[in-house]
Amino acid sequence: MKFTRRTLLAAASAAALLAAPLAAEAQNLPRNMRMVIGSTSTGGDTYQNSAIVAEALSEKLGINIKVDAVGATEAFKAVGRDKRGTTIMMFHDQSFLGNLYGVSGYDDPFANYAVGPTVAINPGNAYLVPADSPYQTMDDIFAAAESGTRVRVAIQPGGVSEIGFTAMKNAAKLRAPGSEENIVAVNTGSQSDKNQAMWDDLADVINGSIQANEQFTQLDPSDQKAMRFVWITARPETLEQAPEAGMGNTTRDDLLSYASPKTHVPLNESEDFTFDKEFFFLFNKDMDPAIIDAIDAALTEVFDEGKIQERQKESFFIPDFLPTAEAREHLTKKRDTYRKVIDDISAGS
Amino acid sequence: MGDMTRVTIDFDTSHLIFPTLIAIILGLLGLAIVLRDHARLAEAGVHWHRTWQHMDKPRFLGVLGLTLLYFTMMVPVGEIWPNTGMGFLLCSIPYVMAAGLLFMHARAPRQVLPLLIVALVGPTFVWWLFTYPLFLTLP
Amino acid sequence: MFEFISPLFVSLVLGGTLVGIIFGAIPGMTATMAVAVCLPLTYSLGLENGLALLLGLYVGGISGGLVPAILLGIPGTPSSITTTFDGYPMAQRGEGEKALRIGIVASLVGGLISLLVLDLFAPTLADFAIKFSYVEKFLIILFALTVMAALSSDMLLGIFSGVLGIFISLIGTYDISDGGNGELRLVPPGTEYWLESGFSLLPVLIGLFGLAAILEQAEIGVPRGHSASEVKVGKHSRFSFGVFRGQGVNLVRSSLIGTFIGILPGVGGSAASIISYTNAKTFSKTPERFGKGEPGGIIASESGNNGLTGGALVPLLSLGIPGDSTTALLIGAFTLQGVQVGPLFIGNNPGTWDAMIFAMLIANIAMFAMMYFAIRYFAMVVTIPKHILFPVILMMCVIGAYTINYGIMFDVWTLLIFGVLGWLFTKLRLEVAPFIIGFILGPSAEIYFVKSLESFGDVTIFFTKSWIAVVLWLLIVGSVAGAVLMSKKKQRIAEEPV
Repeated sequence: MKFTRRTLLAAASAAALLAAPLAAEAQNLPRNMRMVIGSTSTGGDTYQNSAIVAEALSEKLGINIKVDAVGATEAFKAVGRDKRGTTIMMFHDQSFLGNLYGVSGYDDPFANYAVGPTVAINPGNAYLVPADSPYQTMDDIFAAAESGTRVRVAIQPGGVSEIGFTAMKNAAKLRAPGSEENIVAVNTGSQSDKNQAMWDDLADVINGSIQANEQFTQLDPSDQKAMRFVWITARPETLEQAPEAGMGNTTRDDLLSYASPKTHVPLNESEDFTFDKEFFFLFNKDMDPAIIDAIDAALTEVFDEGKIQERQKESFFIPDFLPTAEAREHLTKKRDTYRKVIDDISAGS
Repeated sequence: MGDMTRVTIDFDTSHLIFPTLIAIILGLLGLAIVLRDHARLAEAGVHWHRTWQHMDKPRFLGVLGLTLLYFTMMVPVGEIWPNTGMGFLLCSIPYVMAAGLLFMHARAPRQVLPLLIVALVGPTFVWWLFTYPLFLTLP
Repeated sequence: MFEFISPLFVSLVLGGTLVGIIFGAIPGMTATMAVAVCLPLTYSLGLENGLALLLGLYVGGISGGLVPAILLGIPGTPSSITTTFDGYPMAQRGEGEKALRIGIVASLVGGLISLLVLDLFAPTLADFAIKFSYVEKFLIILFALTVMAALSSDMLLGIFSGVLGIFISLIGTYDISDGGNGELRLVPPGTEYWLESGFSLLPVLIGLFGLAAILEQAEIGVPRGHSASEVKVGKHSRFSFGVFRGQGVNLVRSSLIGTFIGILPGVGGSAASIISYTNAKTFSKTPERFGKGEPGGIIASESGNNGLTGGALVPLLSLGIPGDSTTALLIGAFTLQGVQVGPLFIGNNPGTWDAMIFAMLIANIAMFAMMYFAIRYFAMVVTIPKHILFPVILMMCVIGAYTINYGIMFDVWTLLIFGVLGWLFTKLRLEVAPFIIGFILGPSAEIYFVKSLESFGDVTIFFTKSWIAVVLWLLIVGSVAGAVLMSKKKQRIAEEPV
């Protein structure tokens, strides 16, 4: 599929290439767009999701879109420089979480960029314990913290991997103020580092994902590498859209049992904390809004046709299209919720 | 003994530990070099003067200047036709040509012609290869 | 059981290997880039066929790097840096063809040995690899760093250059994705915009080796004649398999070292050939010949980096964790097809597993056949007049630098900065080889060192963590002692009246 996109589009745009600025002006849409992403990996979920969307979008609009895995810092710079709208960006909640956690290189995306439509969710964010862990549920973990046992959680600080950890501290605080001090972070990097932290007995709980860790949960419990899920942060309504077979040998029902409402990590007295990693567009804030409208309209058609959803589900993404206006409202609300949790926890410690 | 070897690392400042350590080692090594080679270091001025005298200045400075110009022009030229790689193509042809002429000793037409062909075909082929089959971004 | 074999499967492996060799052979283009570029194609090819293409690219890309390393002294990929140390001196004496053949044979042996290890021991080795915590990984890096001492012609200046390389590699943020805290350091005020992510390896590498060499030539006026040497390649000494006599141990040891380094997630591809090279030099009877055109050096380097190919697939297929940057991309090929990789992969997908082993086997043999018989054409590169070759190399360096991180202009400037630095280095008698090794290993050394202390809170942990740590210390001490003895010997020879 990608092959045909590459070759056909390449051939089609070859002729239009030198006339590009003219044609673009006439249609208000650049003929050659560059989609930069907040990840440097072309094997990761951000790239995959971006490639699916870029392919559908370029077919619909009849333009050329290249996905470039330049990483968050460089992507923000590239979009920030380009007011003409020939560079667009695809990223996920990290864009505002990085800012909330004060990571260098992350400005407030809502103030400095134009947040665009959401397209998909990766529902995989999860927390795991060793198979022989004394903790069976999240409740056990909070009880241990309350009774004064230190629970070490391996995360990659400063974003998507830390938000669930912050929520755990918040939940511990709600249950028994002061017990959140017993939930401590082990700051690591990649998934491999987090797994290794568990095997080296440096962490009691690790952040991971359904996709990367499911097979470890299927190992014989006597295997030193064996793990168990304790918490999946996705909203139940997100997980319900996952394929019924789930992932590997873990069915959707199994997955649901680790997520709210069956597994409780309270956000406040009435609600559970949930986190979905949502992918959305980011644009230059001075760019012509007509381009954003054109992308919105094209995406609406693409999602109405329904083919992209199948493609997304094949790669374990949950389709999640919200046009720009709705997406902005939804993401702003989401950001505000997490900001409160993060502020509460960092103010307390 | 046990207490002497214990260290506590504060995560928030852990980015400075290793650079500090390396800077200290680097400083010590630098000092050792100065102590050992002070005689030679004192003659550095003479050494540089000789280097400068023996240098083929037009070629050395020329290629540096050309490269600077090449890198500086690539992005602005590319901006005229965004995301098409034109900046690379339109700057590389004159650059390869000019650098080739600079390096050449006898600039007879018979020698310039192959260079001209390479300067035209080389960048164009590379540009085509990266833009279409490889689908990568060029400036 | 071999139902995956089809004409398409085989031609994809062959095509992948060929394209990989070309990518590897062009300075600035790497195996990782070849795989990244072709990854999207695999969606329409299906899993087995897609993997056939990617594995061909991987094996070809790692191998192709030896060509410019030997003929031009510019490593085609970071993992062939150590090949330049002995390959380029050989080419300069007119033994380019011989050096190429040695490198290609060593690559084949390295590839096949690692493939055998992969096929027989993958899950067992993965269980062993996870015994390597931050502490052991730091010691491995430290061991690789000891090569700096062994490589230097002037020990003090060489080590200074190496430590300088480490220092410069630390510029930028303490990378969060490796476990750092994301804070900037060593960045002069006002340059944060550019230096936030530090200098990337590839532009630094091609700047130091490629651009700097051309600047040196420009300084002396680009003497007429052909590049590597005036001598016709291969005129002086013919290649025969006799070169490998007495190198059997080196060959097998380097292949196994390469394989093992590949198995350790995060230690990194370039470390494989560096450690193989250190070992070969330490255990050699004639260590003083290393760095001056010793076939043993090429053998160690090339069997080491091809040994990596099989090794890096071990953690990928038995833990779902990539062993180097190229295999990290292979994960994408699996997820594109909705196939999970993890500890159950081999058991759940025996067909895919067989297909991968088979593809690697064909790729290695094809790599050997293609390169061995194409040597004459490769060697033609040194007959191109310099005034044509140099501008084209400069342009390719620019392309490589710009595309390595998918379009960042600062990487192109990095190329120029390090080109000029490399030229300055030779003037200041600083040494480029230890510098680049320090630069490559610096970031891993930092993360593993700091994390060891952060996790265990005691400096004695480096000695007491495990028996593996003790073994690694013995190797480190042995390597340093060897280098010191060597330099003493050299001094004595120099002082003896003639």
